[in-house]
Amino acid sequence: MTNKEIFNGEAVMSFDNEHDRRNFLKWAGIVGVGSSLAVAGFSRGSVSAQAGGGDIDILNYALTLEYLEADFYNQGVDGGALSGRELALVTPIRDHEDAHVAALTSTISDLGGTPVKSPKFKYPEGTFTKKAAFLETASVFEELGVTAYHGQVTLIKNVDILAAAAAIAGVESRHAAILADLIGGNPFPAPVEGTATMKQVLEAATPFIKS
Amino acid sequence: MDRRIFLKGSAAVIPASVGLQMLSTRFAYAQSADFGSDEDVLNYALTLEFLESEFYRQGNGAGLLSGKEAEYAKTIGADEDAHVAAITDTIMKIGGTPVEAPGVDFGEAFASRESFLETAHVFENLGVGAYLGAAGFIQNKDILQAAAGIFGVEARHAAVIGNMLGLEPEGGVYMGSTETAQDKAAVLEAATPFLAGAGAMTGGAAATL
Repeated sequence: MTNKEIFNGEAVMSFDNEHDRRNFLKWAGIVGVGSSLAVAGFSRGSVSAQAGGGDIDILNYALTLEYLEADFYNQGVDGGALSGRELALVTPIRDHEDAHVAALTSTISDLGGTPVKSPKFKYPEGTFTKKAAFLETASVFEELGVTAYHGQVTLIKNVDILAAAAAIAGVESRHAAILADLIGGNPFPAPVEGTATMKQVLEAATPFIKS
Repeated sequence: MDRRIFLKGSAAVIPASVGLQMLSTRFAYAQSADFGSDEDVLNYALTLEFLESEFYRQGNGAGLLSGKEAEYAKTIGADEDAHVAAITDTIMKIGGTPVEAPGVDFGEAFASRESFLETAHVFENLGVGAYLGAAGFIQNKDILQAAAGIFGVEARHAAVIGNMLGLEPEGGVYMGSTETAQDKAAVLEAATPFLAGAGAMTGGAAATL
């Protein structure tokens, strides 16, 4: 489904440059591909298998994504583009992302690690004032978050951290489904969640990171 | 426990707001005696998926939904069918024996749109808690990856059905900032009212549960 179909032809995203736009759109493609691969099910090798830098690194990676989501939703809820049921559905998402940031930060500290600091973020103009732009971006962020967490499942070594990460990932799946529903997309793109590597996810997030 | 109590009790089983309890979220819910092997976990999941698959087959056949709701329920049913097929296939691949589908009795669940969706909402949240509670027992990484992937999709189902029912976003659509694991005993207690007859209780599926 293209933006044109969803939003009656209104341009919902405008990036600083063509590279950023293409990077972001490419992400949507990765999500789709990942989901399709997942349908193939259990016979495939672990898609997420890659060189990992330990559980602290994975937690800091998750924290970076949660910073982005928390910042995004705080601006979105304050931005005034949403109202009614949409605002009611999005406000708890903001609260969840704030809670994820807090929980990941303290978990990293408890494990003797150093939580990364939040990057500064940037968004295409109109992201927080145009409802369609906000919800469309939110939907992509949520699908990104889901595949990011699922991409680390087999790499996490500590079983308690795995439990905590899974408990967060399930909530991101709920968010993803609700946002897909709000934008007229498909809340259930595949019977199994897809995965993405850290490299893929960070590349998709790069257009939103100012410094 | 009858179905009415089951439905009423579901809100208490899954806390509305888990908040920052994440740090204490552990697989501790799952007792070490719950599962002895990956095959045990998979057969446990398979029984739940059989239950869900049959639930949507009957529910979608009852003609209670229309438009987008009907489409969603059809897709959810297809997801559950895919889970049944994939888990069955996996059990055979690891040299195990898949349990047979249990006998089911959904009572008055298909009396109305509301009762269908309310029961679906309970099933989906039960599935979420069951997968999270069992995940810590899985040894094989590929099976863990797939179980996690199914778990996430059950969470999608739960959220959208909660929204179709017009429930409060927090505590109805979402169940806090983290999902809550449920152990096998709690899941069995919740699922038992839907497993029909003494035969089902002594048959493979219920025995595995």
